[in-house]
Amino acid sequence: MSEQARLDIAVMDSTCALPRRSGELVFHDDWERRAFAMAVALCEQGRYDWDTFREHLIAEIAASDARGPSTGPGAPGYYEHWLAALEQVLAKSGILPVAEP
Amino acid sequence: MSEHHDHDHDHDHDHHGAPPNPYLEKRRSGVETAVLDARVKKMEALLVDKGLVTTAALDRLIEIYEHDLGPMNGARVVARAWTDTDFKARLLANGTAAIAELGMSGLQGEHMVVVENTPTVHNVVVCTLCSCYPWPVLGLPPSWYKDAPYRSRVVIDPRGVLAEFGTALGPDVEVRVWDSSAEMRYLVLPERPAGSAGLDEAALANLVTRDAMIGVTRLPPVGKAA
Repeated sequence: MSEQARLDIAVMDSTCALPRRSGELVFHDDWERRAFAMAVALCEQGRYDWDTFREHLIAEIAASDARGPSTGPGAPGYYEHWLAALEQVLAKSGILPVAEP
Repeated sequence: MSEHHDHDHDHDHDHHGAPPNPYLEKRRSGVETAVLDARVKKMEALLVDKGLVTTAALDRLIEIYEHDLGPMNGARVVARAWTDTDFKARLLANGTAAIAELGMSGLQGEHMVVVENTPTVHNVVVCTLCSCYPWPVLGLPPSWYKDAPYRSRVVIDPRGVLAEFGTALGPDVEVRVWDSSAEMRYLVLPERPAGSAGLDEAALANLVTRDAMIGVTRLPPVGKAA
């Protein structure tokens, strides 16, 4: 368990801040937990820097905001952006091929 | 730790100084969830096939981030101090060493200083320079802790800021503000709530909130929690 990775995640702020309540992470569905854990686990193995992942996450959130309102029924939530960012980073790092649509 | 932690008592504080997060209330349809679920399962299967992750390792990681790193670590420290006077003495004398006794690590060379609230002294913690926070015991800092309004105002007008958190202190109570740094992290030891005499350590830990350990609130009497 990398202390640096924990710290990097803990200090994520503003648009890419993790959804949480009373300091604890909030997950609605199990796939969100899995996507969270995969991103962290691969970073801890040194497959990519946390900054790289965070930049993709920020870009994904910004692109979504540009497409339309970020709230309301049907709008993507935080972990949809997280998942999209993770797919991009995995493809870019040569870990997994680009996800099929 | 497996105790269920009740978050419902302090929702409002997460809105303090920060816009409400619509994600917290968001729910997806069953179809949307099924599609996302399949997408993530496929990714996990591919990573497992490549030998990059194991399901068990991911389970453990989720457990750590979701539970062990939350404020209940600090709550365990507080509950132990309430029930074990020797531990409390060690905790106040050397917070880092006493917290390590409970098997909590993750401190990176910085010292943990535990400050005790009493009927005449109220402690509150801030980091005026950035957002230093005792995250191994309190988890991820709340957004307001990192916001400029809290960081600057709690030093200038601690009673006013505490009043905004619903904490009204009489003129006879001395307020001490502790400014965290890279070297020193503070944890407030709240007063044990009235009406908690018959509770065991685990039940006591469930009474302790993150905000009380930062010092922006006091713990309500047992049975009267909102």
